Amino acid sequence: MRKSIIVSALAVLSVTLLAHAAWPQDNETISQARRKPPPTGPVPRLPSGKPDFSDVAWLASGGNFKQFDALMLPLARKIMSERNVTQDPHNFCMPDVVPRQAPFPFRIFFNYTDKPATHAVIVYEGNIHSFRQIFMDGRKHPDYLDPTWYGHSIGHWEMDTLVVDTVGFNDVSWYDGRGTPHSEKLHTIERYTRLDKGRLQDKVTIDDPLMYAKPFEVTINATTTPGDEVMEYICQDGNQYGVGTLPPPAPK
Amino acid sequence: MNSKLLIAAVVIGLLFGVPLSAHHSVAGEFDPTKPVTVTGAVSKVEWVNPHSRVHFDVKGADGKVTTWSVELAARNVLERNGWHGNALKIGEVITVTGDQARSGAPMMNARGRELEALQKGGAKYYPIVRADGTPVLFERE
Repeated sequence: MRKSIIVSALAVLSVTLLAHAAWPQDNETISQARRKPPPTGPVPRLPSGKPDFSDVAWLASGGNFKQFDALMLPLARKIMSERNVTQDPHNFCMPDVVPRQAPFPFRIFFNYTDKPATHAVIVYEGNIHSFRQIFMDGRKHPDYLDPTWYGHSIGHWEMDTLVVDTVGFNDVSWYDGRGTPHSEKLHTIERYTRLDKGRLQDKVTIDDPLMYAKPFEVTINATTTPGDEVMEYICQDGNQYGVGTLPPPAPK
Repeated sequence: MNSKLLIAAVVIGLLFGVPLSAHHSVAGEFDPTKPVTVTGAVSKVEWVNPHSRVHFDVKGADGKVTTWSVELAARNVLERNGWHGNALKIGEVITVTGDQARSGAPMMNARGRELEALQKGGAKYYPIVRADGTPVLFERE
């Protein structure tokens, strides 16, 4: 744990320095670097003693899939080559795949019972105003799942880390605007750890045997902001993506 | 104040190659090599997600009025920065700078300019300026 805190602190420091010294590719990273630093203090805890994940969390850094391009299988490269940025489902207010919730804030609530929590709910402000439910009552994934945007999630605790195991995704959503694909065979394991009062880390294992040669881990560092709230965000309300702005397709 | 149509085609985008990787595909819709500055009177404020829009009527040299629109960040982003839907009044004269739509339509997006200013490490960038010179509606900290 101590090592991970030090590594995280160095990562945050590096990102901050990078934002001022050079021009990183991620505009949200730059924006984050300019905000006031996250609050400090011990990990807030629930009456059960488990960490409280209910403070609104914002992406600070990470989640970049480009670094794993070398692991892509030919099928993934082919699919990606046939996509262009104007087709990204994200731009049409469709749900994002795990872990592409950034740069939108999210928070995690647990239900309160006289026994350990049986459900966790991740509330997402955007890209669509939505939620995922995580079953923590010991059930397993069903033998068969019809594909869905968010899949089927089961969770458990490993010490103070919330581990969320998800299968049953559809293959429609993209990992990023480049068109990085995933298949219905995608299996994700998210590990949420609240490092302290102001920082939440989400380490996500991506295992997609149809698209990548081997599993890999994406680390997302988020800033938690006590006092902030998830705001209403109805993507369909004003979405005019491409309406009037895109030139007509070139004649063939 | 006479409303004027001023188009300043400064090829800043070519020099800096603004990366626009996150959030919506601004680069696909708007051309960072075609920043425009336009002055007109506010005709409509759309205070919505995922992107707010301000429409304003611009009178050309021939007297013809063209309605432009500028796309801003999400309403939620603006509100978290302290702005609300009443920041601009209908009829108020504003000067707006942004990247023009790739279609050539009288539509622009201010976020590319803001991102560039942010990356340069300068002061906050205001895409909209009131007639008295007061800047308004910055999106990025």
